[in-house]
Amino acid sequence: MSANLNFKPGLARDPGLQGERTSLAWKRTALLVVVNALLTLRTGLSSNATALTILAVVLLCSAGIAVSFSAWRRQHLRSSYSVSARVMLVTSMVAVGTCGAGIASIFISRI
Amino acid sequence: MIASLKSRAASRKATRKPHWRQLGTEPDYRFSLANERTFLAWIRTALSILAGSVFLDQFSTKLASQHAGLLISVALGFLAAALCGIAYRRWRSNEIAMRHARELPGTIIISVLAGFMLVISAVITILLAL
Repeated sequence: MSANLNFKPGLARDPGLQGERTSLAWKRTALLVVVNALLTLRTGLSSNATALTILAVVLLCSAGIAVSFSAWRRQHLRSSYSVSARVMLVTSMVAVGTCGAGIASIFISRI
Repeated sequence: MIASLKSRAASRKATRKPHWRQLGTEPDYRFSLANERTFLAWIRTALSILAGSVFLDQFSTKLASQHAGLLISVALGFLAAALCGIAYRRWRSNEIAMRHARELPGTIIISVLAGFMLVISAVITILLAL
């Protein structure tokens, strides 16, 4: 009975720790969005570029959402193993937006 | 009543899915999660390249040519943006291959990326040494 201390009723038996690894991968990715958002925020504040500052705050919020999503997904792993295609597309778009913010901050900091 | 509600919910869920996700069989969960992590690893690669490009632009004071530094930074930024799009396309084509039990598609992006990084590192090293 006490053989599997990690057993939770909502989770399937997962000896490869697939859920945990996937959840950590989401968190690492969110962390990199935070790093890039902070770099953008720095340029936005030091160059008085309001649009860039707002974009950086939006990116920080989306990183927060990604962390909550990773936790939610781990809890609900059993009901749907495969991630929704829309989530992947939105993640990819957020990453493209982060790249846009980075490129914009390169140009704005030169003005 | 409950059955009809359930089937309606199921059909709504099915129509929300893109067409390619309704074909073939659902892959083993280990493989779909591995595919998801591979996608995230590509996104992280792109975001690390982006952070590198912003750092290069804003914190490099010893480059021989500031114009070359700007050019490299912007090129790395666009490379990062392209990798984000490629990440989604690869995730999609990997899942399609898994659903139809086909061989996973190969990619030249890994070798192109390695070559690109080699050239960029060499150029930055030369600019620092000059």
